[in-house]
Amino acid sequence: MKRRALGFLVSLWAVLTLNFLLPRLLPGDPLAALLDPNSSAYVFNSTTRASLAAYYGLDRPLAQQYADYLAGALQGDLGQSIRLNQPVGELLRAHLPWTLLLTLTALGAASLLGVLGGAEAAWRRGSAADKALVAASVIASNAPVVFTGMILLIVFGAKLDWLPLAGGRTAFARYDTPWDAARDYAAHLVLPAATLTLALVGSKFLLVRNSMIGVLGEDYMLVARAKGLSTGRLKRHHALRNAIVPFVHHLAAHAGFALTGALFIETLFNYPGMGRLVFESVVARDYPLIQGVFVVVSVLVLSANLLADWLSYRLDPRLREAP
Amino acid sequence: MSGPLLSVQDLRVTFAPGAPGQPPARAVDGVSFALAAGGSLAIVGETGSGKTTLARALLGLHPAGSVSGSVQLGGQELVELDEGRWRPLRWKRIALAVQNAGTAFDPVYRMGEQIVEPLREHLGLSSAEAAARAAALVAQVGLAERHLRAYPHQLSGGEKQRLMLAMALSCEPEILIVDEPTSGQDMLARAQVIALLRHIRAQRGTALLLISHDLAAVAQLAEQVAVLYAGKLAEVGAARDVLSAPRHPYTWGLLNAYPNMSTARDLSGIRGQMPDPAHPPTGCRFHPRCTQAVDKCRRVEPPLQAHGGRLLACHLGGLQALLRADGLRKTFTTNGHLGPAQNIEAVRDVSLEVYEGEVVGLVGETGSGKSTLGRLLVGLLSPEAGSIAFEGNPLALNNSSASKRLRRRIQLIPQDPFDSVSPYLSVGQIVREPLDVQGTDTPVKRAEQVQDALAAVGLPTLDAFLARHPHELSGGQLQRVVIARALVLEPKLIVADEPVSMLDASEQAKLITLLKAIQNERGIGLLLISHDLALVRKVADRILVMRDGQIIEGGPSSRVIAQPQHDYTRALLRAAPSFDWYSASSNGDRP
Ligand SMILES: Nc1ncnc2c1ncn2[C@@H]1O[C@H](COP(=O)(O)OP(=O)(O)OP(=O)(O)O)[C@@H](O)[C@H]1O
Ligand code: SF4
Ligand SMILES: [Mg+2]
Repeated sequence: MKRRALGFLVSLWAVLTLNFLLPRLLPGDPLAALLDPNSSAYVFNSTTRASLAAYYGLDRPLAQQYADYLAGALQGDLGQSIRLNQPVGELLRAHLPWTLLLTLTALGAASLLGVLGGAEAAWRRGSAADKALVAASVIASNAPVVFTGMILLIVFGAKLDWLPLAGGRTAFARYDTPWDAARDYAAHLVLPAATLTLALVGSKFLLVRNSMIGVLGEDYMLVARAKGLSTGRLKRHHALRNAIVPFVHHLAAHAGFALTGALFIETLFNYPGMGRLVFESVVARDYPLIQGVFVVVSVLVLSANLLADWLSYRLDPRLREAP
Repeated sequence: MSGPLLSVQDLRVTFAPGAPGQPPARAVDGVSFALAAGGSLAIVGETGSGKTTLARALLGLHPAGSVSGSVQLGGQELVELDEGRWRPLRWKRIALAVQNAGTAFDPVYRMGEQIVEPLREHLGLSSAEAAARAAALVAQVGLAERHLRAYPHQLSGGEKQRLMLAMALSCEPEILIVDEPTSGQDMLARAQVIALLRHIRAQRGTALLLISHDLAAVAQLAEQVAVLYAGKLAEVGAARDVLSAPRHPYTWGLLNAYPNMSTARDLSGIRGQMPDPAHPPTGCRFHPRCTQAVDKCRRVEPPLQAHGGRLLACHLGGLQALLRADGLRKTFTTNGHLGPAQNIEAVRDVSLEVYEGEVVGLVGETGSGKSTLGRLLVGLLSPEAGSIAFEGNPLALNNSSASKRLRRRIQLIPQDPFDSVSPYLSVGQIVREPLDVQGTDTPVKRAEQVQDALAAVGLPTLDAFLARHPHELSGGQLQRVVIARALVLEPKLIVADEPVSMLDASEQAKLITLLKAIQNERGIGLLLISHDLALVRKVADRILVMRDGQIIEGGPSSRVIAQPQHDYTRALLRAAPSFDWYSASSNGDRP
């Protein structure tokens, strides 16, 4: 586990360094162009230009630039957004929680459904229910999120008018109790989270079903049955408990996919997460912001993997002794 | 208690075919046996004979198979029982220590948790009580409490095997099924497991169903033995009888293939392969591998019938004596050139049997009468008294066509190849000669048979080689030619009189191995006459010791070598070179 943590730190350092080097190595010197009045990328706002010049410090030696950059990044200073004329750190702090809320909710729901459904389907493999679930999850995991999102939006938002159409909360609302606030946030969360859940649940279901089928064929399951244990104990205590180990790794590997999915869905539902921020900054070639998002997403994915390593280390005693 | 504790009737386990359109695999196909309370039964058989499938079916664990027939536990029918009713029976009344202890434990739980599990589920013990019980159990199987705290991957195969036993014993079942408890263990661990199982049986009166191909363990643990072949029982009887005097050809082959610490014999498997359970042979399932199969065996399935105190599934009532000699006697009279005429009793009242597909070694020092006996058996000499029967027919020393036909089925490989072949004939002619004498086949067919025989002994079949003459061959090659000549008539019995004594040591070993391979492959009986006990014990199933014209000792090779009864045999053993030291110090494993 120590090695994993060390690996995490090394990866983190690599990400930050890459982020430092990329714009400086790109052909055409994009950073210099920001400050060059003859270039099309010239930043007209003088305060922004000053803070960018200070942040990149292109006139200083490269080693100095690097040291300053690292020190800043570790304190959350990721430069200044050109388009919005605000510190990137601040923008991320405002939008990231929404994205995290959406992603984690959907990941949680998809995991719960995938694990329970997958376990049950594997237990009854070959049955009509199993076949229907497999077909449904293949369809769900292949449908584009934009498409499923639109359908949900039209049905539950527009037609049935059960749920709000857009946004993360009701604009200008004042809440009397925290409970009211939670209700409002939740209502806004349902549709985007459902869309993302649908996109994620299929592969989770299939993975759990497969690994569970594998586990059910193991000798120790036969022995557990021979021991006369109850069905519930066989299913959960032995079979699912073993099938969950590969699932944890899948979950980590899937974190990046879930995050990008969330960004798309946020634009669709006008959800206040990083989605809009990202797309607009790409269109506007807002380099500092794009880089900030890259760093944050990388750190999130790295953390997810570290967490998965730690979890599977907890779950599988065989890994504890592995070097 | 009336009736047996466990009664199995016509049990069948069929697995759905792997591919559509294929017949289903009948892994267990109509097996019946009974196990009394406190009794012990071993099921033995080659790998794939259906032992594990049978054991699982007894616990209702047949994930992919369908089970029919009847299994009754204390009168209660178990086949077709639903899972809910199975649960209270499993582990509490019948427990199974599975074959593969290495993969039998859930990798994510500590051993202790897994052993405690059934105690809590079935006996409702508190966790403290269950833990105390688990500690007692591990102590009983000779392990420590630290083993309870270990995860499966932290333990050795042998430790897991014992913990498997401890777990199987946890609820004190009435019947304990143990699948291969000794396989893959070193001798010491194996002995401990056997001692443990004996102890448990003595102490608790647990009925034991032992599944094993470790015949020595079977001999020590089971009162009854059932031999399973391709899903059917071949022979059932008291362990002592079946293992010491097997009657079914399969049992006999199984015992011969069994590595025994006290034999230094090279192993020879049963010829051929176990049939695929999806395509069992017609008639007797063993017939493609049986050395004594008759036409009926191919057509009619032999029922399992009582036969002299045991059950046997064989049309011929078991292993047939190929050759039976009774009270043979031969006296030579010297003609008295150098003194008074003298009677030399070369063979005195000798009786012996050679079974189908068996290698019998006849050893004794020079002048003990071995060769005379051999010549009597093949009809080169006629005895003064006694009789010889081949496949049940008396062998007369006359020229009736009946005895000629019998005689061509017994071939002699003589001691000195140069003596037995004409120097004027070519290799091809030498080998073809017996066929020409018989004069039954077409020349083309004969040429083919010659080629086959030469190929069987590992000689070239090129025309150039066929045209060579004896003086152009090495001793080893010539002896092979002589063996080929013996084989060309497809004999049932070969009497080989010192077949390799003229050769150097390396050539001896090669040739004797070849002879054994041919014998095994073709299912021929072989009487191997030699003064060299070291050589004989490598291939012989049984050894007869001859001295002064009499057979003074005989028995399974393992016994004769490990526990010679006679001083003379001991002397021969001491004289034998390269005798492995451990054989002498180990006790025979078989009764
Ligand atoms: N689940 C299954 N599906 C199909 N065929 C099977 C299945 N299990 C066993 N068999 C077949 O049934 C036959 C008997 O197998 P089994 O495991 O009972 O043999 P065994 O006598 O225990 O062998 P061993 O000595 O190697 O343990 C084999 O041909 C095997 O391939
Ligand atoms: S003699 Fe026939 S019935 Fe008996 S074992 Fe051989 S093949 Fe089967
Ligand atoms: Mg087996």
